[in-house]
Amino acid sequence: MPRQATHRRLPALVAAAGLAALCAAPATAAEGEAALRAELEALKRRISELERRLAEQQEAQQRVEKLEREVKEVAKTHSEWKDAESVLHVAGYAAVGYTDAEGADGSFNVANFNPIFHFLYDDKVLWEAELEFEVLDDGSTKTNLEYTTLDWFVTDNVTLVGGKFLSPAGFFIQNLHPAWINKLPSKPAGFGEEQAAPESDLGLEVRGGVNIGNPWKLTYAFYVANGPSAEGELGGGEIERIEAEAKASDEDGDKVYGGRVSVLPRPGLEIGVSAVTGKLMVEDGTSEDKGRDYDLVGADFSLVRGNLDARAEYVRQRIGARAGSLWPDEAEWKAWYAQLAWKFRPTRFEGVVRYSDYDSPHAAEDQRQWALGLNYLLAPNAVAKVAYELNDGQSGQPTDDDRFLLQFAYGF
Amino acid sequence: MRKTRLFPALLMVAAGLAAAVPATAGERGGDKEAFARGARVWSENCTRCHNLRDPREFRDDQWRPIIAHMRVRGGLTGAEARDVLTFMQNAN
Repeated sequence: MPRQATHRRLPALVAAAGLAALCAAPATAAEGEAALRAELEALKRRISELERRLAEQQEAQQRVEKLEREVKEVAKTHSEWKDAESVLHVAGYAAVGYTDAEGADGSFNVANFNPIFHFLYDDKVLWEAELEFEVLDDGSTKTNLEYTTLDWFVTDNVTLVGGKFLSPAGFFIQNLHPAWINKLPSKPAGFGEEQAAPESDLGLEVRGGVNIGNPWKLTYAFYVANGPSAEGELGGGEIERIEAEAKASDEDGDKVYGGRVSVLPRPGLEIGVSAVTGKLMVEDGTSEDKGRDYDLVGADFSLVRGNLDARAEYVRQRIGARAGSLWPDEAEWKAWYAQLAWKFRPTRFEGVVRYSDYDSPHAAEDQRQWALGLNYLLAPNAVAKVAYELNDGQSGQPTDDDRFLLQFAYGF
Repeated sequence: MRKTRLFPALLMVAAGLAAAVPATAGERGGDKEAFARGARVWSENCTRCHNLRDPREFRDDQWRPIIAHMRVRGGLTGAEARDVLTFMQNAN
């Protein structure tokens, strides 16, 4: 084809293509609009779905928050920890110490561990028991069941206690003797083992407290138990010692009866009296003298106010004579102490001074003692103690030796 | 450290509650009243023998047998024991 002819046809071709394009344009726009509408509808549906899901999530979140609030409210008053019918707890105390006495070399002579078990059922019955582990001079370990009792909370004011219990007569032995409570490293003269204050007994006890008019209160503890026994020698001059620690037998068949009553006229002030009576048996291992009178009287006082802690206690145990007996005559053990303690707040120091006096049938055991102490309270239940005892006993006896004592005690 | 700061504060609160709440035997009320009565019992009775123990020392469940033991040893009434337990469990 000649080149000139081609040039003439080109405008016609362009015009034809434009016309074709113009005819085809309406169909493409309609399709695009439809597609857009479809996409828009899809988006609307998706937004609706998302809004529905969001609403569900918000509702679920509100339910969760409401449940969490309910759980927190319920947890305040109820939980498996609080509501479990039986609960076991292990408490106790431990002490380590050092003693340097005039007549002996200083030594680390205290290493005690006293676990206490509490098992409570439904706030109705409590079993409690204290074990004592103590390292002795010869390196052996002394183990002792200090007490084991089943306590039945009969009413709000009456608890029935059965088993081996710390003697309810007096206050120091049953309430103050644990090392973390006792404000000095040593017990008052006459309040140790086989001295004037009875340690424990085995029997039944009823005890409790009664509010008798604002602010007066009364506490009581009455008991019947096997009672103590005593060692002496047929035809001998003196009863050797009284064994006022619980025994699981009552060889003389006579029980002892007694207890303690205290009044609290105002908070912090307590005045108690104790009395026990009964019979006991004096023995020497091969023979025995039954039916000897046994009596105890005691009184205690405490005033705790602010920084002051003042206490005093008196106790006397007596074995009576028996007409016609070839055994030793009557015997008496008595002791008393008075103690003042003062907390030097805001420091953690506490000063203590105590006087105690012990008289027994044996002059070698008698003792009068001044004790001065300074405590540092690491915590209410952890105390480091340093003390000095000025002892006055029979010359040449350990009871006459002054002593320097260190102790660290922890109640847990 | 926090414990040592809180404990004296707790003592002061207890002392305030003790002054504010009358010691009426047998008067029972809601938890708030039991808490206040318990604070008074705690501050007035524990020191008869030993230093006050911090409520934060033990868990709620542990205080139950401990207070039961103290009820026996300290001659607390059942109502006093329940009040002081409420206090210990809510102050720890």
